[in-house]
Amino acid sequence: MKILRSAVFQAIAIVAVSAAGGFAFNSFARNGINPFRAVAKVPVADEGTKVGADGIRIIDLAEARRIVESGGTVIDARRKIEYDGGHIPGAILFDYYDMGAYRDRVLPRLSNEGEIMVYCSETACDDSELLAKELYLLGFTKLLVFKGGFAEWSGSGLPVEKGDL
Amino acid sequence: MKMTWSQGTHPPAGGRSGTHWIFNPYVLLAFRLLLAAIFIYAAVQKIGRPNAFAEEIRNYGVVDYGPPLYVMAVVLPWIELLCGFSLVTGVGVRGAALILLGLNALFLAVIAKRTAGYVSDGTPFMKVYFDCGCGFGAIYAWKKLLEDAAYLIMALALLAAPRHRFAVPIRRRSS
Repeated sequence: MKILRSAVFQAIAIVAVSAAGGFAFNSFARNGINPFRAVAKVPVADEGTKVGADGIRIIDLAEARRIVESGGTVIDARRKIEYDGGHIPGAILFDYYDMGAYRDRVLPRLSNEGEIMVYCSETACDDSELLAKELYLLGFTKLLVFKGGFAEWSGSGLPVEKGDL
Repeated sequence: MKMTWSQGTHPPAGGRSGTHWIFNPYVLLAFRLLLAAIFIYAAVQKIGRPNAFAEEIRNYGVVDYGPPLYVMAVVLPWIELLCGFSLVTGVGVRGAALILLGLNALFLAVIAKRTAGYVSDGTPFMKVYFDCGCGFGAIYAWKKLLEDAAYLIMALALLAAPRHRFAVPIRRRSS
């Protein structure tokens, strides 16, 4: 009983110091997040929904192609190494897992006037959707997620750009 | 009179008469160093990438987006790191063991739940393979379950050990 009481006392101290360290580090870290941010309901529409609905809409390859060819804003949510290996022409790198490193560089280039298309590696990855949700919370409401991602784009023989932008 | 070991003069391996081998000071030290290495490594993989870790926690389907998830993503890796340091330095070993016991029990439960989900979808148990978000990449679920069970036993031994020989004793001041 004495052992357990002392263990509980020590555990509380460890958790308290960890929480203080974690929050302090997070507030200075490049990739820090606001852990108490409000979580807004982000409307996500399925493929085939009419254009114009605010929120996030899932699009197919044909529509992704239309956006790229019309010079629309395209965001690549993958890691830099994947981006450098090949990306959709004109895509801006915005690694979802390293948002702090790209936020200041990418956000000023985005506008709420036009649509913003986001993609990641392939259908199974959801980083494009997660990044689109983050962008929605930042005030961008015309967001399109190309679920097929880079795999479908390059697999269809469409042009690919290599290297850093 | 010359006494023989059978008469009880020689201390058993545990260092105290009647103690289990698992409480041998060197065994306990090995458990501490092993757990410390694992948890410090795991913590370092997660610190500084709270968004990614939040997604990994969310994949278990237990906590959804919101402050509890993000607070866990920010604080949990630091708890693992401090527990690791406690085990290495010997300061607050029992506290660290209690936390790791709780974390591993929780982890074992959520991994079992996630594995059961894959099995019910038709994947054979031995073929269930996923990234548990522990900082070590994708792994077979059965291996992860065994690993966690071993960590659980080690943490339990560290918590229940009658004494720790290579540790800093922390005693509360008696009034």
